[in-house]
Amino acid sequence: MDDWISLPLVGFPLIASVVLLAFVSNANQATRDRLASPIRMVCLVFSSLLLVVTTGMFFQYFGNVSWEGISFNSYEFDHRYLWIEALGIHWAVGMDALSFPMVWLTTFLLPVTIIATWNEKNGATYFPIVLAMGGALIGVFVSLDLFMFYVFWELTLIPMFFLILMWGGKDRRYASQKFFIYTFTASVIMLLGLITLYFFQDTSNPMIHAGTMTGRTFDIQTITSHALVENSNGNWYLGANIQKVLFVMLMLGFLVKLPAVPFHTWLPDAHVQAPTGGSMLLAGVMLKMGAYGMFRLPLSLFPHALQYFQLTLMIIGMISLVWGAIVCLGQTNLKKMVAYSSVSHMGVIVIGIATMQPMGWAAALFMMFAHGVISPMLFAVCGAFKHHYHSMEIGAMRGMAKHSPWLATSMMFAWMASLGLPLLAGFVAELMVLIALWYMIAAEGWSVLWMVGPALVLAITAAYYLWSMQRTIFEGGDETQPPASLHGEPVPDITDSEKLAMIILAVFTILFGVMPWIALDMMNDWTVQIFEGLILPILGNFNGGA
Amino acid sequence: MAGSENSVTVHSEWMEYAPLIILLPMMSFAVILFLGRVFNGHPFWKNTLKEGGLIALPVMAASLILSLLLISEFLKGHSAFDSLFETIPWVNTAVWNGGAATDSVSLGFGIYVDHITVMLLFVASFLCLLINTFSIGYMNTDPINDNRNHRFYAEFVLFCSGMLGMVLADSFLWLFIFWELMGLCSYLLIGFYYERPSAASAAKKAFLTTRIGDVFLVVGLVMLWDLFGSLNYAVVFDTYNIEQVAAHSAGTLQWALGLMFIGAVGKSAQFPLHVWLPDAMEGPTPVSALIHAATMVNAGLYLVARMFPFFGADALHGDLDDLAFIIASVGGITAVMAAAIAFVQMDLKKVLAYSTMSQLAYIFTGLGCAMYLANTLDWHHDKDAHYIVIVAFGAALFHLFNHAMAKGMLFMASGSVIHEVHHAHHHLHHHDDHGDDHGDDHDDHHDDHFDAQSMENMGGLASKMPITATAMLVGSASIMGLPLIGGFWSKEGIIANAWRVAQDDPRFFLPAACVLIGAAMTGFYMSRMWFMTFAGKPKNEVAAHVGPTNTWIKTPLFILTFVTLSSIILAGMGFTHWASDTSYSFLSERTLIEGIVYEMDHAFLNSDAFFFILTYIAIFLGAVVGPGLAMALYGGSLAEGETAKPWMRPVLRLSAWMNGRFYFDNSAFRDSTFAIALQNRLYIDEYYDKAMVNIVAGFSNKVAEADSEVIDGTIKSIESGSQSLSTFVRSMTTGSARDYILMVSVGTLVIFFLIWGMA
Repeated sequence: MDDWISLPLVGFPLIASVVLLAFVSNANQATRDRLASPIRMVCLVFSSLLLVVTTGMFFQYFGNVSWEGISFNSYEFDHRYLWIEALGIHWAVGMDALSFPMVWLTTFLLPVTIIATWNEKNGATYFPIVLAMGGALIGVFVSLDLFMFYVFWELTLIPMFFLILMWGGKDRRYASQKFFIYTFTASVIMLLGLITLYFFQDTSNPMIHAGTMTGRTFDIQTITSHALVENSNGNWYLGANIQKVLFVMLMLGFLVKLPAVPFHTWLPDAHVQAPTGGSMLLAGVMLKMGAYGMFRLPLSLFPHALQYFQLTLMIIGMISLVWGAIVCLGQTNLKKMVAYSSVSHMGVIVIGIATMQPMGWAAALFMMFAHGVISPMLFAVCGAFKHHYHSMEIGAMRGMAKHSPWLATSMMFAWMASLGLPLLAGFVAELMVLIALWYMIAAEGWSVLWMVGPALVLAITAAYYLWSMQRTIFEGGDETQPPASLHGEPVPDITDSEKLAMIILAVFTILFGVMPWIALDMMNDWTVQIFEGLILPILGNFNGGA
Repeated sequence: MAGSENSVTVHSEWMEYAPLIILLPMMSFAVILFLGRVFNGHPFWKNTLKEGGLIALPVMAASLILSLLLISEFLKGHSAFDSLFETIPWVNTAVWNGGAATDSVSLGFGIYVDHITVMLLFVASFLCLLINTFSIGYMNTDPINDNRNHRFYAEFVLFCSGMLGMVLADSFLWLFIFWELMGLCSYLLIGFYYERPSAASAAKKAFLTTRIGDVFLVVGLVMLWDLFGSLNYAVVFDTYNIEQVAAHSAGTLQWALGLMFIGAVGKSAQFPLHVWLPDAMEGPTPVSALIHAATMVNAGLYLVARMFPFFGADALHGDLDDLAFIIASVGGITAVMAAAIAFVQMDLKKVLAYSTMSQLAYIFTGLGCAMYLANTLDWHHDKDAHYIVIVAFGAALFHLFNHAMAKGMLFMASGSVIHEVHHAHHHLHHHDDHGDDHGDDHDDHHDDHFDAQSMENMGGLASKMPITATAMLVGSASIMGLPLIGGFWSKEGIIANAWRVAQDDPRFFLPAACVLIGAAMTGFYMSRMWFMTFAGKPKNEVAAHVGPTNTWIKTPLFILTFVTLSSIILAGMGFTHWASDTSYSFLSERTLIEGIVYEMDHAFLNSDAFFFILTYIAIFLGAVVGPGLAMALYGGSLAEGETAKPWMRPVLRLSAWMNGRFYFDNSAFRDSTFAIALQNRLYIDEYYDKAMVNIVAGFSNKVAEADSEVIDGTIKSIESGSQSLSTFVRSMTTGSARDYILMVSVGTLVIFFLIWGMA
């Protein structure tokens, strides 16, 4: 019942976007300007409808799925039909408690982004592109076929590329190319991995969704269940070496997207040049594609390799966390600082994965979600700052509390949420990662020094956020003048639509901070399922017990 | 122990409302903020509702009433309540210990009430209400706060809800959550005058310094969670669980508690994380009162007091004495250091700030000693040992109570003084019309020419502000521990217990000596403050024009004076025998009169010769040496024609006599290197700043540089490398047929040789 619902979730925004873009493509500038407002409205209504649908799915209004108790490698709202039979390619979609929060998050951020960037220039093309971005992102999260997954994965690059290129800052050309080439290169490595995975399948083993010509399949569900069997009894699926190599190839693609140090330098450039809406979606959902991909493919397929590379992952996570935070401290550009803080927070996700604990994984999932609510607010604040003061430099505008109380309040809220203030969404994830990390350290006899990095970062994060607030919100008594870029005009506060977006984001940050169980329960259930369905049977007996 | 076997779940109707103690202020935060935004400047909002002050007031009153009902229920039951309502599962997750299944774990929220809770709950809710009252008289009469008091009241109530929540929470996790909430509110309130760079920097300093402590606290909590699989008091204080942990990991437990203690050091401003507290005076005075008396700094003490069941557990007997020593020593060192710095402060509020630091240090010493005793004595079975432990613990907690009341009063009184001096200054210059340099006074209330907080601008105020002067006198006496008043009953206990422990364990001579010396130092700096402010002749024309204060300010001062003076009654009721031990009924079995007689007898006529002598040494130091010195240096009678209230006259007369008889020139000390070092806070702040600027900022700039030069540089060189490669490849496309033929033939030959070679 209602199983087809992912199809419109993916298809409609993409189709609507194409239709709208086609509609304005031949119009002259004057017509486009006239059409901007109705198109914006259409996009807002459309994306709000998507939100209504996904929210309805959460409240079991559609499909009556509780999102808990879904066993590992089973999917709800799943829907499959044959696409290219010869190669075993399907239109296969479905959601579990891993992808559903991400889908909801995407549909939540679309209308919020549209509201936050209500007055973006060239609205007639901008808003449809945002919508297309949403469709592509949902496509990534609901795909259950490697082919589709890869197609949507690359499809997300295109709207983002245009968002940066056409609405970006001064160096937008460089940034958009760097963004595209960098992440595309990583995706190619991932693609190689996916194809290798495809060809190394054992064709002697009859597979349900195999193609007629190759006898192999791109179907994730089939591959995963196959891998589960092949991995058991101490065997390595595809053999130890190939599994390790494939694990590295896939992880590389995902780590670049996440991004993890040292593959992160595309992110600050992209963020600084990207328009506010682009940054909001980029930080809010696009980075999470990396983490999502890890859970969906390498972690589900190659638990042996995961265990083999646990230390490596932990090191990468720690370096991302600490390095990102320290670089933040040395930034003078507000948006760059926020971008690096994302790098640092994504490090938390990698650490959570590397703990190999259900709690750590649930924390990583919740971090993805919480960061997806908080970071758009961070970038919305940066965008408003830039929009009103024509500068991104910390210290360009002081005494914001006086001139722009709304912006100051939003900024303080977002900053506090990002530095992990309790009762706001980010705290729960950070705390759980710390607990899981220590649990792992104590249980597996790792060095206590692994705690130093996360502990240090708790202080560093507070330091750079407070430092930046001191120079923006505070100070600015009589002696400090508004920035020269304002040309003596009175300092404006944020617009009503920006206010509305901030309020929505703040409300949800509080909601998920005070009542984390809304999202966390299903995530926890997913991790328990994957541990009991996959990790324990495969690694449990051979781990020797902690 | 307050383990689960003793605890009872009581379902009385008032218990159901306990969460409201937290929720009411928390919700009114949003209400006040919202209404303030909407109705800012509206006459009804401004004059009738006092910009939210009169919304906050009934809320705080309701919190106090609910708290009192809860406390009275508790006192009827006499034992710990685990959970007054069903625990809310907050975070449900799972861990895997390598076995065949994952173990689900849950972090929940509930309410827990025991003896310690009751004490702090009362202190917090009572003082929050009084400070709220005071704020209406203080904040709403100063034009500089116009149209932004709603922010103050909103943050104020959130702060209170943080403290109340922290005290009522049933787990270390939620203690920490509310603890951080308070950290946020202190940040906002200290930075209330955000346009002043000094306030902005003080707010940042407070948040960052406490955050550094919090980092350790978090790690400690995580370790504790790992040991017990929970952070709920009911679980971690359970005798059986403690036995299990003690069997394998007593050392780890000590580390966990030690790290948590560092969090308390930050929050309660103890050396070496004390630097934020004096700067926190940048906030409005009610905030100082709130932070120093009712909430923030007590949080650290509360956390340490909460650890008592670990120290008192049989299973951990003798395992935690090192930590107890560290707690006591940090206290002892801070007590002396802060008192020394207070000697040279000229700013009225700064003196009080250092005094807070020093008195909190006393409480830490008291707690450390009590914990040492609980950890090393066989107090569960030996009746005398039991008595010693609960009296030691009780002294520390009772000092917390006395200090909170006295310090709340002192801050409010000092606020009242500052407020009136300030007004006198404006009044004076408004009417005098001296010239242009004062013309803009009304706009710029905090001009550089005049410092309303400096004691150099006061003097002789005893006649002008009788209630304030009295309150300040009583408060100072309580802090100094003058016999029979307020803090005397607890401070003597702390000193005595420190020396009792020092007899067992020579390491404790350090804190014991510190608290004893500290008594004399306290006597000096508190008296100095009072005499400089209220005695002698007005030091300038402003001080001569100070008028009495308003009712909103007077009322809390009056109430707190009464509470401080009636400390002996509380002592007689058994407040000095306070312990987290359910087998001991905290209210004395004696009648009130018997109790008072017993306390008197115990204090002044101790049967043990050592403690008898010690008591009188302490009294001599704290009540004679310190104040005597202060009188000689700073005492003096009021100006001609001015008269003080009769109860202040003897003090003033005595000080005038001392000043005339024993005055000596102390300029040699004032100019000494040591005094200058004290004025510079022993250069500790400077070192920290230097470390921040040179090491942290320098390092992070280097890292940021490396990030863009090395990591991104590598990427860029790959970029340019591939570009030049493609340029090179492109350059081979010459368009000349001869070149192509050459390339084809060379290529063919190469392939040929390759195949030939391989074959």
